[in-house]
Amino acid sequence: MHGRPRNGPRSEESAAKAGKLRDLQAQLLHNHHNRIYTNEARAASARLLEINPEIYTAWNYRKLALQSNLKEVTDVEAIKAFVEEELRVVEAALRQNPKSYGAWYHRKWVLNHKFSPANFDHEYWLLGRLMKLDPRNFHGWNYRRFLAALSNVPEVEELMYTMEMIDSNFSNYSAWHNRSFLLSNLLKQKAQGFVSKEKILTDEYDLVHQALFTEASDQSGWFYFLWLLDQTVSPDQPLVASSWPAHGSSWVVSTNRSKSDCRLFPFESSNSCYYLPMSIVPIILYFNQPVSGVSSSTVTVNSVFTSNEDITWRPLSLAKSENAHCWVTYLKISDARSNGTSSVEISLGHSQDIKSAHGSPHTCPVLLKFTIELNCIDAEQPGGEFGEELFVFNSDQVCLPYEDFPISSFDQLKISENHAPVASSWDVETLSNEISLFKGSPDDNCKFVKLTLARLLVAYDAMMSERSPSLQKKTHSEEVLKFFDDLIQLDPVHAKFYEDQRSLVILDQVTFDKESLMKNYGRLCKLASSSHHYHVLQLNKLSLTRIGFVERLLWVQILDLSHNEIQSISGLEALQLLTCLNLANNQLNSFAALEPLRLLSSLRVLDVSFNKIGSYLIDTKRYLCSSPMSHTVDIKEVIKEFQDTEIADYWEVIFIFKELQLTQLNIEGNAVANDNLSLLLKKTIPGLIWLNGDRVQ
Amino acid sequence: MDRSSEFDKMRHVASLELMMEWMPSPYESQEINRLTLAHFAISGLAILGALDQIDKDRVINWVLSLRAQPKDKAELEKGEFYGFHGSRSSQFDRHDGKQQDLVPNGSHLASTYCALAILRIIGYDLSSMDSESIITSMRQLQQHDGSFTPIHLGAETDLRFVYCAAAICFMFNNWTGMDREKAKEYILRCQSYDGGFGLVPGSESHGGGTYCAVAALRLMGFIEADILSKSTLWTTINVPLLLEWCIQRQGVDGGFQGRANKASDTCYAFWVGGVLKILGAYHFLDKNALRRFLLSCESQYGGFQKFPEDATPDLYHSYYGLAALSLLEEPGLVPLCVELGIPSPEII
Repeated sequence: MHGRPRNGPRSEESAAKAGKLRDLQAQLLHNHHNRIYTNEARAASARLLEINPEIYTAWNYRKLALQSNLKEVTDVEAIKAFVEEELRVVEAALRQNPKSYGAWYHRKWVLNHKFSPANFDHEYWLLGRLMKLDPRNFHGWNYRRFLAALSNVPEVEELMYTMEMIDSNFSNYSAWHNRSFLLSNLLKQKAQGFVSKEKILTDEYDLVHQALFTEASDQSGWFYFLWLLDQTVSPDQPLVASSWPAHGSSWVVSTNRSKSDCRLFPFESSNSCYYLPMSIVPIILYFNQPVSGVSSSTVTVNSVFTSNEDITWRPLSLAKSENAHCWVTYLKISDARSNGTSSVEISLGHSQDIKSAHGSPHTCPVLLKFTIELNCIDAEQPGGEFGEELFVFNSDQVCLPYEDFPISSFDQLKISENHAPVASSWDVETLSNEISLFKGSPDDNCKFVKLTLARLLVAYDAMMSERSPSLQKKTHSEEVLKFFDDLIQLDPVHAKFYEDQRSLVILDQVTFDKESLMKNYGRLCKLASSSHHYHVLQLNKLSLTRIGFVERLLWVQILDLSHNEIQSISGLEALQLLTCLNLANNQLNSFAALEPLRLLSSLRVLDVSFNKIGSYLIDTKRYLCSSPMSHTVDIKEVIKEFQDTEIADYWEVIFIFKELQLTQLNIEGNAVANDNLSLLLKKTIPGLIWLNGDRVQ
Repeated sequence: MDRSSEFDKMRHVASLELMMEWMPSPYESQEINRLTLAHFAISGLAILGALDQIDKDRVINWVLSLRAQPKDKAELEKGEFYGFHGSRSSQFDRHDGKQQDLVPNGSHLASTYCALAILRIIGYDLSSMDSESIITSMRQLQQHDGSFTPIHLGAETDLRFVYCAAAICFMFNNWTGMDREKAKEYILRCQSYDGGFGLVPGSESHGGGTYCAVAALRLMGFIEADILSKSTLWTTINVPLLLEWCIQRQGVDGGFQGRANKASDTCYAFWVGGVLKILGAYHFLDKNALRRFLLSCESQYGGFQKFPEDATPDLYHSYYGLAALSLLEEPGLVPLCVELGIPSPEII
């Protein structure tokens, strides 16, 4: 290469071909350069393109030539002749290579300019022949969409064409694709006959059944089915799914004038409490989908603690987007001077400025109420909570007495039941019809049948749980778990993916209701230096790979997720009360994976020992190529007191831990752990008292 | 990982070195994309850790000789793109006649990406280059809908060239060459119902299109590295569907297909595997099965074929086969900067 002459053995034939190519190429450059657009010159470029349609210079030359030649002629027939010449050259090129981008583009360019009226019948005939040779040629499908737009063929007619193609071959994924594309458009425009999404989707379910029961092992129909399911279940309107504190709850706050922290007791029970290190009570709103526009003008908070205008709502998200599932604000208890009971009212729904990412407004009025009784004592209380004393997670802590559960009714957290608009039951019925249909399928050992049934059951449970939580006493988790176990056996190539999906089902199962949580996972713990008990939710040894259903866990203060397979903790940022978190013995493979913790201002104790941080070469080198914009904070502010070498080696450590106010951290058993890192951590977290189980000097 | 079957690195080094000097006749039709072919050979040697075999100065001089440069500032503002020609055959000699102003300039976005990739890999300091004319003139290639045409005279616009533009801006660390918001909007319009991305809005999902979309969003800073482990916010793109689509591209033979119901093909182990890597979902694929598939596409003469049953390897599949093995962390291979599609220069 590099301009050297080729000097290998070549047959005479190919030498002659190369000679011809070189000659035509030289002619092209000469004509292009000198703007020679004669018949002869164009013919040379046509011959070149017939041999090699990849030469984009030749296509460019022909465009200039056509424009220049058309300036000279006015006669309709002459114009037509010029245009037809171009179309012929494209045809010849496509015979050589039906996937030539340049050739297809040239044809579109010529027709788009409407130099002369197009013969659409001919175009469709030609396209039909080409699609017969390769029904999956995506250039062909793109060209069909182009032709339909150019000739104003109604989308309904094109929809019929996809039906023909599907009928002739159920496996034609491209036809299914085009069908979904056209249908989405028609539904969006609410075109005639496409006003009722429910009716159209019902028909489409019938259509896809035919394909699925004819060729159950084919991917095309299943992906179409997945799309239909997505259309059926995705919520249109944003709703508040849960909140903390729960609606109707009552609390007693015990503060101490000489200290900055305080304790929060459920009114009904003084056995256990929450520890609030900065005497602030978070108010958390969790929506069923990411929303934007939560502010003091769209949400009104009435309380004696702060006036509504001074309230700032913050999205709990790491991305620089304005949309988040979860929004939080903080009430400063320390600001209140006098003892007594006061109520806090949160109302939203009076303005339409809270919107989903797709622009649907939140319109259901919601009113949440809870009360806080202040109990201010002067006496010094013993114990610096979660600081001085080493907090140890252990599994033989006391099981939670049922009546001490921190929320009096689990359903209190879910609040959309009272406010959800009375939706039609079409979607629920559709899902249950589909479930019974697939359960009766003769191909019940087919992986797609199992996967689809798993998806349907999960979607059904989620829908029922949102619609009428108090009625839903039982889920299909056991059944779904069985499907995923089967899938892992049946389709080992995708086993890891199924394990990840299964993890969410397990989490659903264990957090589904109060009984389930109480029975197995609720614990109480106590610090030696304190007389108070704290709630621990113990979700260890469950093969979890990631976090889900956080809307059910907003009340959790101490969470044990150790001995799982967790790779991602995304979602934990919603748990604003979290003080102690155990992630030991998981699969976390970078400090970056801990980023959600930066949003947890109450977190004091963190155990990430025995993970995989630093084990992967690629990961440690990652930020060498990192995008300059990918970080949401001003890096310079965060890292100004660190040396260059520290920044180069431990950028992520500084980035993550600088924000946290940890008193205890355990990172032993990770490849990244060493003395340098320990020194850096002590520098990064000045308040650290315990590192890797040892007291920091 | 099961590495019982051996990967013989030297055989690939020998084959790529041969390609550097002499190319078989089937490549004739690719003459116009010579820079791209050179990128595959040189970047392939870089992945193999065998860059010491090539004469770097000669390569740098050759690549730079394909650059189109405006005569002066006035010419730069005329609307032409001043990047790199794909090969000598699309390049006009500027000193051969009087009508210089008429000389059409054949700079191409893909060639420009490949030229910069080669220079970066070889260790040429891109900041020493006058990048202003490339960046300024590139902006004019961006269309109203946010897409890019690869040449100023106009050609098909699709995600491939949005990706090239993003990679060029990234390599120069200068984003004035494109309107990122518009480019993002265009990319989002290309996401299909099944979660993958087609090359143009409304088209069927395609492994290459999906890579261009996700890698460009990553380069432009719209999605973070390891989006799955870090962000709850998936409003930019529908990540769960995208993930599902990518995962299901791995077939029972272990390889990846580019579209549903197509045969597994070496290059998609990089295109789709790269998307999974960027998303932080690479652990979901069956690595042993993928490695077995890739080794079954390995040619006994070095290089990779498109399909296991093919008789001869080609340069394109050889490069992406090596890139895919590097993603699998094959010992002895240099790690990739996956969003740029080239080995990380800092490590070489």
